[in-house]
Amino acid sequence: MTAAREAFGLPAVFLTVFLLGALRIGDAAVLVPPSPFALVLGALLLRVVVQSGALAPERLLSSARSGLANANGLVVLVVLWAAAAQVIAVLIPESGVPQIAFSVFFFVLLLNTAAAAPDRERLLRSLAVTLGSAFVLKFVVLYQLSTPRAGALKRMLQAILDSVTLGALIQAVPHPIAAYLALLSLVVFLVGLVLLPHRDQVPPRRLLRPSLP
Amino acid sequence: MREATTRGLGLAFAVAYAVFVGWLFVRQPQTIAQVTGGLSAAIGTYNVDAQALADGRRFFRNGQFVEARLAFARADPALRDAQTQFYIAYSFYRQGWGRLYHDDLLYTEGLAAIDRALALAPAGRLVVADPDLMMHTAEELKAELEAGVRRDASDFNPLRLLEVRK
Repeated sequence: MTAAREAFGLPAVFLTVFLLGALRIGDAAVLVPPSPFALVLGALLLRVVVQSGALAPERLLSSARSGLANANGLVVLVVLWAAAAQVIAVLIPESGVPQIAFSVFFFVLLLNTAAAAPDRERLLRSLAVTLGSAFVLKFVVLYQLSTPRAGALKRMLQAILDSVTLGALIQAVPHPIAAYLALLSLVVFLVGLVLLPHRDQVPPRRLLRPSLP
Repeated sequence: MREATTRGLGLAFAVAYAVFVGWLFVRQPQTIAQVTGGLSAAIGTYNVDAQALADGRRFFRNGQFVEARLAFARADPALRDAQTQFYIAYSFYRQGWGRLYHDDLLYTEGLAAIDRALALAPAGRLVVADPDLMMHTAEELKAELEAGVRRDASDFNPLRLLEVRK
């Protein structure tokens, strides 16, 4: 990895993710920091990223590097954590049962991923699928259910759904641009993960076995 | 470029970007003008549009308060000038003042504007030496606006009909 990528590129990518993910557009534009639980989930995500080798922390912080290089590495680690927390926060619904369900889902998923110990490639694929699915569930399915309907029948069905779920499912409908901002922050975050300094892939053990005579 | 230089510049860039993001979280600007104005004010280069301010004061003196506020908004798009915010608050006060009742909505907006003015004034002290005004300090104007939105026994005092708009 070049010094420019570590010093400029990665901090710019992850700080941009943090900023885009924080933006909530309603009657007014508000920047919302990640909740403490999102920060915990962000730390778990950081852990699995390190565990899988998608991030080699020794290439960011080590006694063999200069103080300035270690400062650059520390910045990358901190902004990666903040961006991870913000990406998870933007994918968790704002209220009700979906908020709790998504939070628990992310928590269990990250613990499960840590237990499964995937390699870099599998982890990146898994994160793309998981975060992408969460995006679709929140910004397409859930908000489609919550959007006020035009026809009387549709409004009635929505009212029935709201009553059956005791108002726990219907969400406040965000500004149309919110989904695009969330998608952009998600994509930039995944690109940032790919750009991280990673461990070289160890060939599978069976390939190292000496061939039988 | 030497690696140490790249790393040093990169660190400065990251810190500056992080400070900018932190500033956005604290200030919560609503428009690009507020972002650029806030940044200009931070480095001391923000200027109020003098012509728009003069227009606003002329409208204000003529009792055209809506027009005055439009001109003041043009003069201070980033909401960073204490004196302009004072005039905006004063225009809400004068427009909302009534002999029998005060318009709570306008007074509330006036309170928001005077709070902005006080926050921007050096050491929270703001004096506007305009002979056309009857209140020259932010404290007087704020007290008047607060009294206007407060409900108490003085609201039923018949002598209130003799009060004059300041």
